[in-house]
Amino acid sequence: MRVTENMKFNLMMNNMNTVQSRYNELLEKMASQKEINKPSDNPLGMARVFNYRGTREAITQYHSNMEHCQSVIEITESKLTGVNDLLVNAREIAVAQASSGSNNEETRGYAVSSVEELIEEFLSLANATLDNQYLFAGTRTNEDMSEAPFSSVRRDAPEIDDPVASGNNGDYDGTVSVGGTYTGDVNKTYVVKITSDGQSLADSTYVVSSDGGKTWGAEQNDLDDGVPVTIGDGIEVTFTEGTAADLAENDIFTVRAYTEGYYNGNGDCHSVEIGKDASFTYTLSGEEVFTDRGDGEVDILQTLNDLKDALENNDDEGIQNSISALKDASAQINRGIAVCGTRVNRLDIAGNNLTLLDEKITEMIANTEDVDITKLVTEFSMKEIALQATYAFSADIQNMSILNFLT
Amino acid sequence: MSGISLFNIARDSLLSHQTAINVTGTNVANVNTAGYTRQTALFQPSKAVIHEGAVQYQSGVYIDDIVRTYDRFLQAQINDNINTLGYSESRKESLERIEIMFNETSGGGLDELLTKFWNAWDDCAVNPAGSAERTAVVSAAESLTYMFNTYAENLASIQQDANGEIADSINSINSIIRDIADINEKIIRVLPGTGGRNDLLDTREQLISDLSEMVDINVVEDENETITVFLANGMPLVENQQISELSVVANEENNSFYDVVFANDTDRVLNDVFNGGRLKGLLEIRDTDVPAYMEKLDTLAATVADEVNSRHQTGYDMYGNVGGDFFTFNITPEATEARYIAVNDDILNDINMIAASETMDGDGNNAATIGSLRDDLVMNGNTTTLNGFYASFVAEIGQDSADMIRSYDYQYSLKSQLTNKREQISGVSIDEEMINLMKYQMGYQAAAKLGSAAEEMSDILMTLVQ
Repeated sequence: MRVTENMKFNLMMNNMNTVQSRYNELLEKMASQKEINKPSDNPLGMARVFNYRGTREAITQYHSNMEHCQSVIEITESKLTGVNDLLVNAREIAVAQASSGSNNEETRGYAVSSVEELIEEFLSLANATLDNQYLFAGTRTNEDMSEAPFSSVRRDAPEIDDPVASGNNGDYDGTVSVGGTYTGDVNKTYVVKITSDGQSLADSTYVVSSDGGKTWGAEQNDLDDGVPVTIGDGIEVTFTEGTAADLAENDIFTVRAYTEGYYNGNGDCHSVEIGKDASFTYTLSGEEVFTDRGDGEVDILQTLNDLKDALENNDDEGIQNSISALKDASAQINRGIAVCGTRVNRLDIAGNNLTLLDEKITEMIANTEDVDITKLVTEFSMKEIALQATYAFSADIQNMSILNFLT
Repeated sequence: MSGISLFNIARDSLLSHQTAINVTGTNVANVNTAGYTRQTALFQPSKAVIHEGAVQYQSGVYIDDIVRTYDRFLQAQINDNINTLGYSESRKESLERIEIMFNETSGGGLDELLTKFWNAWDDCAVNPAGSAERTAVVSAAESLTYMFNTYAENLASIQQDANGEIADSINSINSIIRDIADINEKIIRVLPGTGGRNDLLDTREQLISDLSEMVDINVVEDENETITVFLANGMPLVENQQISELSVVANEENNSFYDVVFANDTDRVLNDVFNGGRLKGLLEIRDTDVPAYMEKLDTLAATVADEVNSRHQTGYDMYGNVGGDFFTFNITPEATEARYIAVNDDILNDINMIAASETMDGDGNNAATIGSLRDDLVMNGNTTTLNGFYASFVAEIGQDSADMIRSYDYQYSLKSQLTNKREQISGVSIDEEMINLMKYQMGYQAAAKLGSAAEEMSDILMTLVQ
């Protein structure tokens, strides 16, 4: 077989390039400590690493959500404990003042101011805020947008607030008023949303929501100038025709309706995700825990005010009734405290599970992505030797030629 | 046999061996010339005939021809390989560039920004009135849209580069075609048998290889050693001395892209005629590969915008208004492409217009709903999450690039082997040439000896006559 100079040199060059490029690859891996330095190194591995990283980020976010829940629940629990303490105080006062033998109008008069203090303290606990949000207002928690959940004066009859207009257009210059008697037994936010655009009143269509705008009823079109329309639970809304501008699409009219009592919030709760598709409710609404419109049957503020009235009026029977009412009240609060405890437990368990998952996933990322340092260093020194050999061999090859032997 | 004829024999031998030594010298001088095929002087017994009555002697020697030693079939195989290699190389270069763009092995790319976007919504959900949380949502959204825009623009620039290179390739193809025709003309003018064609033939071989790298061609040689070069569909580029140059025209659908046509027939688009070579690689990158990637990126952007917008529109902002579009596409007529996705200007100007609430009471549940898009299967016919779709998109790019690199490496090693084989047949071996040199030197010496022997004989003859 003929062998030419170029064949020898080409062979040398190709070998050198091969060894050099493999050497280079190893250098890159040593510098970055990663097996995958670009997608083509291991495309499937890369996709897997992306997914793992995404899961880890989600876990971090869930942890952060859980921390927020934890702080809210802890503060809620401490406020509830405070309320429980003052209920125990109230009961002691009631018991002390119950027997008409050792008590009279004068002593009961002194007790009234104590009970007034307790009521003040209750209001401050029930209207507590955290980060600008009321703790016990249901979902009407924004301190700037809503009033305090508990007022000191009782609403003796259901109330309907005037409609608040909002919406994309806001030019409507007719009037909207409310009437009728609210028949619901909890506070609700009714929302009327216009779905037609620029029609006259009679041709306009609208939908009604009774849960603050989450879900909507069927579309209606029975608006008429000056005619009251019942939107639900006895609330009547009356539109009058505008002169210059008509109702526009997505014009919104919010009507807040309150039942009797001291409570101004609603019965919804905040929730947040603490895991994939795992929604976690972490607040308690004032309606649930402090009023008789939730699962419980005691209106705490009412009970305290009843005791105060009974003491003022020297009402024996009233004071006696207060004692058992206050006992029921304590039980209701304790149920709330127990719920907080269970929630904290659940957060602990979920948190631990997420931490374990995080560790596992970190390990899986490392397995796919990180280099095996021992193997890498061994291969690296082998390639170094191979490179040295190639250089030595290449330098030698030119010595072998017939030209050395011709005179 | 006359003494004069001995002089002639000696003279012929001297000259022939001198020519042979010159040929050896040429070979040795060109040992490092690319594409050089070694030449060999062919010695032939002379045609001069000496009559001795009825007896005829052939006498002397002459150089019949100086031939190139090469294997035409091997050369055709090499050109095929160069053609495939050119195709793999041009695609590999572009795919590697695309891979670098999407290289998120150390994070910081679209995947991470998408996750940060979901996280920002979750943070907003627990404090929907907080301006810090709302600002964070907007800034995460802006980073996300910026990344989409950048990726789309980078892909488009790769298309533009391929497009420019197509025009450059056409220019170099035309220049090669002109050179081949030139050589065809020169070859006819050179007399055969003197070896004067050899360097022209070598040059032409090199030109054909260069042309093969660009496009796939067929070569047919005539009896007077001129060639005709055809494209794969039988249309000629060079026909003896006539050339049909290629040219580019603007594509009908996309005026900034070039179509390849013949300069004298601009209506027939030749893009699909090519089956290999650099030109085909560039056309494929520009017209097939990059558009496919852009479509995936656009689908992702469109779905992100669509899903976020539809959820945003069921919520309420801080003013009690129903939410509008969160993402818009800044192009008229509207096209849902990644290059144009942006955050709605209204929201950029007023963060209170972010519809984080589910009800009119200012809760954060709508923000939580948008954040939970992280886990929703909205891509690929509802089987994959948005992040999952992007991960498999990057994996696809990596796979395409890895495939091309492998193909290129294989073709390259094949080229080395074929080139080696060519060297074996046509290359210059210094050892061999040195031996040949010794051989011809000896022949030259012997011829010189003949000459002095003939002279001696003449002298003797002369002294006889005195």
